Amino acid sequence: MPAEIGFLSMAAPEIFMACAAMLLLMGGVFLGERSARLITWLSVATLLMAALLVLSVAPGESRLVLLSDLFVTDSFGVFMKVLVLAASAVTLIMSLGFNEREQIARFEYPILVVLATLGMMMMISANDLIALYMGLELQSLALYVVAAFHRDSLRSTEAGLKYFVLGALSSGMLLYGCSLIYGFLGTTNFSDIAAVFAGEADVTPSVGLVVGLVFLMVGLAFKVSAFPFHMWTPDVYEGAPTPVTAFFAAAPKLAAVALLLRVLIGPFQGLAGEWQQVVVALSIGSMLLAAFAAINQTNIKRLMAYSGIGHIGYALVGLAAANEAGVRAVLIYMAIYLVMVIGTFCCILCMRNGGRMVEGIDDLKGLAKTSPGMALVLAIFMFSMAGIPPLAGFFGKLYVFLAALNAGLYALAIIGVLASVVAAFYYVRIVKVMYFDEPVGSFDRPVGREMVAVQTVTGLMILLFFLWPGPLLAAAEAAVRALFAA
Amino acid sequence: MIIQALAFYLFSAVAIAAGVMVISARNPVHSVLFLILAFFNSAALFVLMGAEFLAMILVVVYVGAVAVLFLFVVMMLDINFVELRQGFLQYLPVGTLIGIILLLELVLIFGGWVAAPEAAANVAIEIPPPAELHNSAALGRVLYTKYIYLFQAAGMILLIAMIGAIVLTLRARPDVRRQRIASQVARRPEDVLEIKKVPSGGAG
Amino acid sequence: MVELWQGYGLPAIILVAQILVVVVPLLVAVAYLTLAERRIIGAMQLRKGPNVVGAFGLLQPWADAVKLLFKETVIPSGANQIVFIAAPMVTFTLSLMAWAVMPFGDGLVLADINVGIMYLFAISSLGIYGIIMAGWASNSKYAFLGALRSGAQMVSYEVAIGFIIITVLLTAGSLNLSDIVLAQSGGFWNWFWLPHLPMFVIFFASILAETNRSPFDLPEAEAELVAGYNVEYSSMPFALFFLGEYANMILMSGLTTVLFLGGWLPPAEIGFLTLIPGPVWFALKVAFVLFCFLWVRATFPRYRYDQLMRLGWKVFLPLSLAWVVLTAGVLVYSGSLG
Repeated sequence: MPAEIGFLSMAAPEIFMACAAMLLLMGGVFLGERSARLITWLSVATLLMAALLVLSVAPGESRLVLLSDLFVTDSFGVFMKVLVLAASAVTLIMSLGFNEREQIARFEYPILVVLATLGMMMMISANDLIALYMGLELQSLALYVVAAFHRDSLRSTEAGLKYFVLGALSSGMLLYGCSLIYGFLGTTNFSDIAAVFAGEADVTPSVGLVVGLVFLMVGLAFKVSAFPFHMWTPDVYEGAPTPVTAFFAAAPKLAAVALLLRVLIGPFQGLAGEWQQVVVALSIGSMLLAAFAAINQTNIKRLMAYSGIGHIGYALVGLAAANEAGVRAVLIYMAIYLVMVIGTFCCILCMRNGGRMVEGIDDLKGLAKTSPGMALVLAIFMFSMAGIPPLAGFFGKLYVFLAALNAGLYALAIIGVLASVVAAFYYVRIVKVMYFDEPVGSFDRPVGREMVAVQTVTGLMILLFFLWPGPLLAAAEAAVRALFAA
Repeated sequence: MIIQALAFYLFSAVAIAAGVMVISARNPVHSVLFLILAFFNSAALFVLMGAEFLAMILVVVYVGAVAVLFLFVVMMLDINFVELRQGFLQYLPVGTLIGIILLLELVLIFGGWVAAPEAAANVAIEIPPPAELHNSAALGRVLYTKYIYLFQAAGMILLIAMIGAIVLTLRARPDVRRQRIASQVARRPEDVLEIKKVPSGGAG
Repeated sequence: MVELWQGYGLPAIILVAQILVVVVPLLVAVAYLTLAERRIIGAMQLRKGPNVVGAFGLLQPWADAVKLLFKETVIPSGANQIVFIAAPMVTFTLSLMAWAVMPFGDGLVLADINVGIMYLFAISSLGIYGIIMAGWASNSKYAFLGALRSGAQMVSYEVAIGFIIITVLLTAGSLNLSDIVLAQSGGFWNWFWLPHLPMFVIFFASILAETNRSPFDLPEAEAELVAGYNVEYSSMPFALFFLGEYANMILMSGLTTVLFLGGWLPPAEIGFLTLIPGPVWFALKVAFVLFCFLWVRATFPRYRYDQLMRLGWKVFLPLSLAWVVLTAGVLVYSGSLG
């Protein structure tokens, strides 16, 4: 018994979050609608506390499997969980002002975010196909609801419904894949699946297994919104309330990438030859689509949706390499992407004109004259996303392409570089609009202390990353080693 | 044995036929009724396999609760399905093509089926012989021990579903008159009654 | 040939005979339940009730049956014919199906299946289909409103019933109805009504709602809905609804008897009481619960719909859920749970 309890403490962050979410829910119900602000801050505290717990129960070099082999903790999990928790907390803080102004500040929103984050942590720690699916559904269901959270807005409900229908479809594909895998291997457990391939050096997997794996990847590709499973992204990003979009672009995407890595590198490493082709196809498609489709966008949220698709494409370049260097590059890329996207959405959330949110790129005209600070920060993010040195985004791309080149994927790397050149066009266009066009109006001020703080911190992180990249690289290195040790 | 085999073919044939009718019936209410029939026959198939608990749960949950609400919705919505099907012919060729491709893939997969030798060895839990342990008890044992984590996770998912339903639909209506039993009971005649003397007689 | 006869023919005939032994008395009971209802409520309201046809009006149900049989079956022109005809059949068949697992005495049960209680619960939760189908197929707004009310009501109260059943089967430690009865042996103070007294009360109220009986008979509220879902029915289809509804009442009384009143067991293990056969005790207890049904009908005014929903979801559901937790806790604490 004591051994089991000691083991359970490794899942303390998840257990804590589940209990905290239920307590907050009770609190919100009893305090009524006015408690939104209080519950939001308490939820942020919950997320940060969970992050502390994650760090404090970190298993170090070792890898622990508990709860009847359904749940795994390792350095990879710690790395991803801390990032996800931080992203959720920051986006939650960013939502406060917006929700209150749009009169959708209700205590359920932070609670749903906490529950979605719980689902993401379960995804990251999944060591079984069933656990994977449970985590994924926990996360997705909460996301469908928050997408439609502005229920009096037609666009928001449409976004929620669209996300729900397509999400259900992708879940179906994922489950179909899982059932095929189970049928051909007789197990759903990652450790057991890995053991099947570990035995023989040269495995020729049955067709059914490969088809199952492909279906599984299709389901996950939908969640990371990689081409050709991206169609929901622009509509949902545009329709959902902006803080929700910020949340979507950050935490869930990261968690889905973590899950993809966990599945492909963990149990299915033996099938790398099979899934590599799929990853390459997804990657090329995403990069090219994003580069060309984003050019004509006039709505900045749609633009960010395409930009997100593109970034997933670049991250998948690293995964296509299927070695330690490649996955490390993915982790670094996603960490930097997270900071960039949160910062950018923080700027978008400040685009208010006469008390109304505006989302057009034209509304940014002459921002450098009306609010130079924000223009500067946004310009940093845009240059970083375009991959201009010495900003952080450049290093992300650098690691990814280096990994691809070292793995011999020359064509993929070249396409990636070309796509990022095309993509640079629309990023730089925003900078041009801000700095060289005449202002048409100024944004409302003040934007709120928390927004300024987020913008400043994220901006500095991106700007000064090259001075002190050590901690991130070391953490990613440890995470990758843990992942490959499995 | 013969009766069992006959029952199996009867139930599975009805289930498949009902399934076909679900998608081909013109009237959506009929579709739902056929769906219920299909559920029923699946439950009967479970019974034939000796999984009585699952069979009953299928009936209680799907037929007794889910399909009822589904039927409600379908009856209340006035959907013109004929109109919805307008584009059907237009998409038929593409749909058929995809269907055929999927079918071919499935045939390929199951043609290549080797009852994977490793599969049997990997089976996670020994299935106890039915004589020793009744199947509801057997289910309970794995559900609350080995799979307790997933069981609790499923609980969280249902909690979210509940929160979601409430968040997206509950509206506080200030203009509705609500019953306050306490104030009703505490009402006294002098609060609500006013006794007036009506002068009688004469057009005074 | 002999083999075939012994393998299939004989068992089949025995089975049919067994079914008839259960169903025929049941239908007779239904007939006299209607008479009892009218006489008892009459007595409570200081009237006489039907007393002309036969001695004490004992032939009245048969007269009613003959009358219904000879009436014309009218199918409304706007009705969905197949569903319209199928609805009363569904109601009637389901109300008979459930009796397969009801234990009338020690070993006196048609099908002694292990998940008997689940089977009963499943079948009783299907009763709603007959009503919804009838309401929809009639193509009449009163019938449809009645069906909707009935559907929502039955789904709501089923939840509470489910939780109460869980408390009972936790205490008994089995899903088999005979085992549940045997777990209550040893006198009426060992029956589950005593330890689960609040649940007994809630269960009784819930089965009133589940069978659409007064004071929860909104689906048939004659003043608002001119008899609700069966307004368009006449003759035999109506009679089937009527039979199904009363058979359901008896079924639910039987369920109450099995779950809370010790089934076929005598109230105390004293010599002469144990001499009386089990089925008689069972019938007596069922009759007592049925009397309560009628008593309630004569006593209480009808609930309003929102009050009904409030009672189901905000009172019965939390209470029964809390009782499940409490029961499980007590059982674990006392070590009587494995």
